[in-house]
Amino acid sequence: MSFARSLLLRLRRAREIYEGVYVAPYRSAIHREYLNQRDLFLLLAFTDLLGIPNPMAYYALELYPEVIDQFHEWHRRMGMPQAPEGGFRCC
Amino acid sequence: MNRLFEKEIVFFGGKGGVGKTTLAAAFALRGAERGERTLLVSTDPAHSTSDILETELGPEPRSVATDFWALELDPEQEATRYIDDVKQRIAVTTAPRMLEEVERQIDIVRISPGSQEAALFERFTRIIEGSAGHYRRIVFDTAPTGQTLRLLSLPELLNAWMSGLIGRRKKLNALSRMWRNVAGAAAGGRSTGSDPVLTALEERKERFHRARRILTDARKTAFAFVVVPERLPILETERAVGILARHRIPVGAIFVNRVLPRGVQSDFMRRRGVRESQYLENIERSLGTYPIYQVPLLDRDVVGVTALRRLTIAKVARVGDGEDRR
Repeated sequence: MSFARSLLLRLRRAREIYEGVYVAPYRSAIHREYLNQRDLFLLLAFTDLLGIPNPMAYYALELYPEVIDQFHEWHRRMGMPQAPEGGFRCC
Repeated sequence: MNRLFEKEIVFFGGKGGVGKTTLAAAFALRGAERGERTLLVSTDPAHSTSDILETELGPEPRSVATDFWALELDPEQEATRYIDDVKQRIAVTTAPRMLEEVERQIDIVRISPGSQEAALFERFTRIIEGSAGHYRRIVFDTAPTGQTLRLLSLPELLNAWMSGLIGRRKKLNALSRMWRNVAGAAAGGRSTGSDPVLTALEERKERFHRARRILTDARKTAFAFVVVPERLPILETERAVGILARHRIPVGAIFVNRVLPRGVQSDFMRRRGVRESQYLENIERSLGTYPIYQVPLLDRDVVGVTALRRLTIAKVARVGDGEDRR
């Protein structure tokens, strides 16, 4: 095994340890924050789905195609196998 | 009306029944007869403009006289047009099993308050942007005061809302990138290209911005109020002028319609005339910073191009006044 190759292997291992120790704990926190922000955006853009008057419901229409999947993912994650009443009945 | 003829976009507004449609048509016609290609746009679902011009108007411009074109918008039809467009785009991207539900949701928005106004406003901006260079002037005959004020203040209000959403969306995208960086394969293989939601929001914001720029450009745009010399229309107009000023939408003229003719010999008319001159003074006092024009009460309805042409629109002279201040 050449010196360079062995060095590369050691570096890779070092990175895995570093990630395991430092990044992994943040990873779930970042993911949670990402999902929270995504839900918040969904709520703000489509308040009318929850019965809150939305001054730009009309303009939010053009965002529907992009966020329907996220709505579906949201209600699954919130422990609702079926979409809640009033919103998209996506399933 | 020289100052008003300098404008490219003139909105006519006022309380219901004061004669907005008649004066908008008369003003548009006078412009056309100066050889300036003019488009009159009405939003009245009752088709009053068609009735006045004795021409069947629709959503596309029709020629009424030389250099004089007119169209009539139906707010409901405009909303439907936009919503059908959204449905079409959704049909491409949505799983068929969801499509029916999504369309149901969209139909709810169609009838929700504000949709027709939004559709109308959208069409206004498209007419203005689409006819640049085509017409010398576009005259909008708007709905009664309250609705019109909401319509014109819409871009400002929605702009703030839209900015908020855009800020959120950017933050979300930054988080999404961060998540992808730390998650590697766990984030799923999807690449982060441009975000279609952010693009749509920013396009929409830009549209509002352009609309707002047009509305507040005092060199090109003016709002003309029509009022009759009676208490309630005067009060409403004073309030409306104040609201427009707050939104920095320039007011170009006040038209006082149905002013009683002088020298009518009857007690009733004389008493009415005394009351009226008080109201005319009120108008002069509260709205005198704008050019004021008077249009007489006639013994017949104003119907047809010839009658519109004959309508006298006289500027109220003031001491030390040149043509149209402000």
